[in-house]
Order: sequence, then C-alpha cells, then structure tokens
Amino acid sequence: MTITATGLCAIRSGRTILHPTNVDIRPGERVGLVGASGSGKSTLGHALIDRLRAQGQRVAHVPQSPDEALDPLRSMAFHWREAEHALNLSPDPTRRQDLFAALHIEGSDLNKRPWGWSRGMQQRFVIAMALIGTPDLLVMDEPTSALDSVVAAGTMDLLDAYLSDRKTALLLITHDLGLAARRVNRLMVMEDGRIVEDAPTEQFLLAPVTQAAKSLCAHRNWLELPC
Amino acid sequence: MLTVDHVSVRRGTTVTLQDISLSLGPNRTLAVVGESGAGKSTLIAAILGLVPCSSGQVTWDNAPVRRCRPALVMQEPRSAFNPRMSLRRAVMEPLVAQGMVADPDRLNALCHGLEIAPDLLDRRPTEVSIGQAQRMGILRALIAKPPLVLFDEPLSALDAVTQKHTARLIAQMQHEEGFASLIVTHDLGYAAAFADDIAVLRAGRVEELTRSQSFVQAPQTAYGRMLRDAAFTLGALEQVA
Amino acid sequence: MIQLIASLLLRAAVVLTGAALATFALLWHAPGDPALAIAIARYQAVVPAEVVDQVRTEAGLDAHFWTAFQAWVGPLLVGDFGQSSVTGRNVWPELVTMISYTLPLALAGLIIGLLTSVPLAYVATRRPGGWLDRCAVALASIGAAIPAYWLGLLLILLFAVQLGWLPAMGTRTPAHIILPALTLGLGVAASLTRILRSGILEARGQPFLPAFRRRGVANRDIERDHVAPHAAIPVVTVFGLELAFLLEGVVMVEVIFARPGLGSFLVSAIEARDFPKVQAVVVLTAVLFVTVNLLIDLIYRALDPRIGERDA
Repeated sequence: MTITATGLCAIRSGRTILHPTNVDIRPGERVGLVGASGSGKSTLGHALIDRLRAQGQRVAHVPQSPDEALDPLRSMAFHWREAEHALNLSPDPTRRQDLFAALHIEGSDLNKRPWGWSRGMQQRFVIAMALIGTPDLLVMDEPTSALDSVVAAGTMDLLDAYLSDRKTALLLITHDLGLAARRVNRLMVMEDGRIVEDAPTEQFLLAPVTQAAKSLCAHRNWLELPC
Repeated sequence: MLTVDHVSVRRGTTVTLQDISLSLGPNRTLAVVGESGAGKSTLIAAILGLVPCSSGQVTWDNAPVRRCRPALVMQEPRSAFNPRMSLRRAVMEPLVAQGMVADPDRLNALCHGLEIAPDLLDRRPTEVSIGQAQRMGILRALIAKPPLVLFDEPLSALDAVTQKHTARLIAQMQHEEGFASLIVTHDLGYAAAFADDIAVLRAGRVEELTRSQSFVQAPQTAYGRMLRDAAFTLGALEQVA
Repeated sequence: MIQLIASLLLRAAVVLTGAALATFALLWHAPGDPALAIAIARYQAVVPAEVVDQVRTEAGLDAHFWTAFQAWVGPLLVGDFGQSSVTGRNVWPELVTMISYTLPLALAGLIIGLLTSVPLAYVATRRPGGWLDRCAVALASIGAAIPAYWLGLLLILLFAVQLGWLPAMGTRTPAHIILPALTLGLGVAASLTRILRSGILEARGQPFLPAFRRRGVANRDIERDHVAPHAAIPVVTVFGLELAFLLEGVVMVEVIFARPGLGSFLVSAIEARDFPKVQAVVVLTAVLFVTVNLLIDLIYRALDPRIGERDA
C-alpha cells in the first residue's frame, strides 16, 4: 500500500514550524529526510506518524535514543507484551525469536529493565519492537547518533538485511547526508519547515538544485570540504 | 609541548586510564578517538588536573600543566554558559579570572576569525543558535591566548553542515594562534580530516597512535580496523580507493 | 540482598540506640524536680520532703546518669518496659490498651488522606493550570497551613455543636472516630495532594512517553503502567515524613477530642514525670519509625532498582 499523507502541518506557540506538506512513499522504498537542526525534520516525522495512524495505516517509530523509547522502571518483557497488545496481537514467542535472531539480540535477559542491557542492545530491541506488526512504514529519527559507531554500523546493516525482502518502507531522518546517502534511494531536504527538494539519491548528489541541498552535498564529506 | 608520561588513573578498584603516554607540540592537533567508556573524558580531566593521576604525570614544557593555563571547549555549548550572563561577560571571564585586562582589538579579531557578528555578544546563551553558541565557547577558550586547547566532542551537538563549518574555523584559528590542540571525538571523519595524529583509546589504553592519514588507509590493530570500517559504513569516511 | 538488609538493620540499630539515649538524657536533665512531680501525681496532694526523698530512691532518681540508663535499657532489651513511677503497675499492658485506641484512629486518618488526595491530585492534573488544578492547589495549601488543633475545633463547632450530626468527645460509639479521623486525614490529604500532583506532572513529562503513544499504547494503559509508578516514587519517599506528621497530629487530636490513646497517655505521663511511660512511648515511636523507613527503603528499591545499583 502506498503511503500518502497530505497537508501535514504544525504550529508551535504561534510559529509555523511545518508548512503544509505532502508525503508519498512507495512500499519498500527507502527515503532519507535530511536538513539542518531546527529545519523541522523531526516535526514532519511525528506529524506523518500521527496522520498515518489516524488513517489506519501501520507505522512504527524508532526515536533517536533508547532513553526516549523505554521506561526505566519496566522490564523488557513488559515492553514487548505491551507493544504486542497495542497492535492487538496475541503473544507469539516465535515472532519474537525471529526478530531477535534477525537483529542479533542475544545474551540479554528479558526480565531485566532497560538499563540492565547495553545501549546498543536496547536500540536493537526498540527496532525489533517497531517491526512486530510488520509496519508499512518505519520512521527512524537519527538512529545512530546516540550509539557508538561500531554498534551503530552493525545495527544499520542488520536492519538493511531484514528489510531487503520486505514491503516495509523506511524513512530515515538525519542531519547527516553522508549517513543517509548510503542507505536510501530517495532524498528529501527540509529547510525552514518545508521540503525544498525531493529527488532520487544519485541525481540528488550529482546535481543538487536548491541552496540547502547544495550546502548539504558540499559538506557531505570530511575529506573534500568546500573552501 | 604537552607531555603525558605513563599516566594511570584509578577510581577505587576500577582502572579508567592505564599507562597513557602522549605528546603534543604547538600548532599540532591530536585527535583522541574511541567509544563511550573508553576513558576519553577522563583523559581530559587528567590533563587538566581535575582527577589525580595514580601514577605518571602530565606536564607542559616540564612544568605542571595548570601553569600554562590550558583552555577547554565543551560538548554542549548551551549548558557550558551561565544562562543569566550575557555572552560578552561570559567570554571575558577567563581574562577576569587571570587578572588580565580586556583588549578590544583581540576580541574583535577573534570575532572576525570565528565569524561571530559582534552584536551577538550582547545576547544571552539561549538567544543564539547552537552553532553560534559553540563558536562563543571557542572564543571564550581562546581569549586569553592559551598555548593548549582541549576540545571535548566539540562538534557532536551540531548538525553535519555546521560541524564542518566549525571544524574549519577551529583549524583557521589554530593556524593563526599556534596553540596545541587535543580533540576528543568519536567521529573518525573529523579526526582524519583535521588531526595530524590519531590516538585510539580503548578500555583506558592507547590501542594505536599513528598519523591520521596512515590510520585511515591502514589501521594497525584489529580494533582500529573495526572503528574505521564502521565509520565507512555510516558514511563518516569516504572509502579510500 | 542479604548484605543490603543487614546494612539497613545496622542503620536501624544505630538510630534506635541514639533515640533511646537522647530521650533519656533529655528527661534526666529537664529542669524541675521529677521526684516531686511523681510524688504529687501519686498521692494527689502536697507531700512532705521525706516522702519526696523516698520516691526519689524508689524511682532510682538518686543514681548516677549512666547507672540509671543501664537500669532502664537492660530490661528494655528483653522487652520489659518497666513499671510506672506513679502507679507501680507494668507499663506494657497499659501501652497495649492505648495502642488499640490509637492505631484505628491513625489508620482511619491515613485512609481518609489517601482517599481524598489520590482522586484530587488525579483530577487536578488532568488539566494542569486549569481552574480545577488551581482549586486543588489552593485547598492543599490551606489544608497544610491549618494546624490540627484549630481544624479539630472548627469541625467540632460545625458538625457537633451547630449541626449536631456527629459526636465529638470520647470513644463510646464507632461514630466517635469520624471527627478525629477527619481532622487527621485532611491534614494528611493536604500534603499528599501536593506531592502527588507534582509527582504526576513530573511523570507525565518523562521523555519516553511520546514514543509509547506513537507505538499505539492506549492512554489509559500509559497512565496506569508508566505514569503511576513514576508518580509513586516521590510519595513513597515522603511517606516517612508523613508518618511523623500523623503521630504529631494524633497527640493533638486525642487531647482535643478527649480520647484515650498514645497521645493522651504521653501528655499525662510527661506532666507526672513518669519516666518509664514517656520512654516507652518514645521508644515505641522510634521503633515504628525505623521499621517504616526500613520498609520504605525496600519498597523504593523494588520500585526503582537503579537506586540499589547506585549505592553499590
């Protein structure tokens, strides 16, 4: 099912932080949403999630840090049960084992609370929880910035492999074009609460049109900085 | 010249730094990379004398480091400032603390070099962008002409474009002022592009200490390779052909 | 875990010893002649000097401080509270009778406090800053500012004197407990409401809650499973203080409503300088305090095990 949301907008304390925006994402598509901090990326992500949920589509969200996804007072098993319950699914140990195997979640006790797990495992658990209902769209907000690079790279590779033969689309929200460019086939650039550019990744990198996109492209790489 | 000579730091029974030896001369940049918990922040604290070394010593030109009055740039630019104090007063504080007289020409020159519009100085820390606030943090660090500046994850609160802009300004200021700069970062791309040398810290030890270019091309240790490959995978480095 | 309980018990023992020593020293060094006070209480008349001296010897008041302390603490360690200096009867049975009056009153006060504060705080925090919230905060502030003795008198005036609905003095019928329990309970409710209100508001601001909503967890489940436990932590923390407040209130309320109980027992014992009785009440209170705080520590760790981790 193609994901379509029209007229998404957000106004916070009298200031428009997201101008009316339409988003279309095809099944299985990988889309990057990039822009400077304060450009409205996360706001668009949240508005999109709320809208799609209201439209009855299955959408899952992975926040930046596991601290924003897990209750420190509740066990991991509780979180998992609750996520299943929220989707009206009956508990299914096989489903959990499959997801844990796919994301290499191992050697951690489900009866422990989040802080009894390493942060990398917490983040993988959050991703696994997001995939429980095989959502139409997975929204990831800066999924790697709270993790150490080795763990983050491993997690992204595992997720890529898991999604490769599935219909779940991915929206990757990040300020880092270098990260997004490796993972997505389409890039959207945000600036001041608007999507100012939307193009396939290769075309985008070769010929950025807007000033914001040009700046992102020019600063993509540490080794060849513009002067 | 900064000399870290066989420094170990223990807290209770846990060893947070073990037998660290580094040196860093004027106008040089050393990047300390590693994962969280590797002891990067403890190393900065040990150099500044904020935690006692259980063995070894840290010196600047054979004298205690404190005597050279090193400066520190912190990770979170906004929380590094007193929110009730104007930025102008805040950036002048190192001078006040050292009993020095404020020199308007120097302030103007630094503002110019760091691309800070002078009227921003009259705002409060919450009234400027994060990138501007971090440039203010650098300005405050440099105002008293320290020979040694320590940067603790100076870019990690900034977005990708601002990171690169700020990194270039730091390098330009170093070129003009000639300070020795020690940068703690988890970003290998930044380290590779701007540091002369890279020290890989792991579980309190220096795993590897090499020229940054040779590290990117061929890390000497397995752990160094893991870090480099992860940076490639995440797009922080471009694959070297 | 065993190590933890052992260390908590050790702490409790230190507190108890300190409390026993401090009370004894305070009473011992209080101004005035205790022997005279005891003699007057015993014979209900002005007594000649030789009788006072006799009482002094009997009550062990002519001994050295440490000798007297040992003479009191020694039997106490095996559960013997000694005999009243005035009547010569054993203190313990009398104490048990008094507890049987006070305990229901304190429990009723606590239950009224909880039953009032939990719904009030919940309703108030539905719309923070709304008029309901402001009313609740105002009520709680007024409630915390009114001393128990004044509130008790107001309630007596209104319900017993003006309306004649409820009895005020004594303990003859179960209805007699209503007004004193209300006096106690409203005070407890006032402070609990404020703590609960800020606890709930803080729990609602936890950074992980938006993610739970986006995960599709129903709002009611979020309130029950995530907000309530976080809001409970500060309440558990201050429960020890709340207990102190309750005991202080019990003393006042029992005197105002002419009820037998630990409070009036303590007041009359102090007037008569009946050392064994006063000390018995103080030791009992100290034990209660230490036990409750011990339990709070354990509950706290069960609620949020990170606290134990940090200590380790």
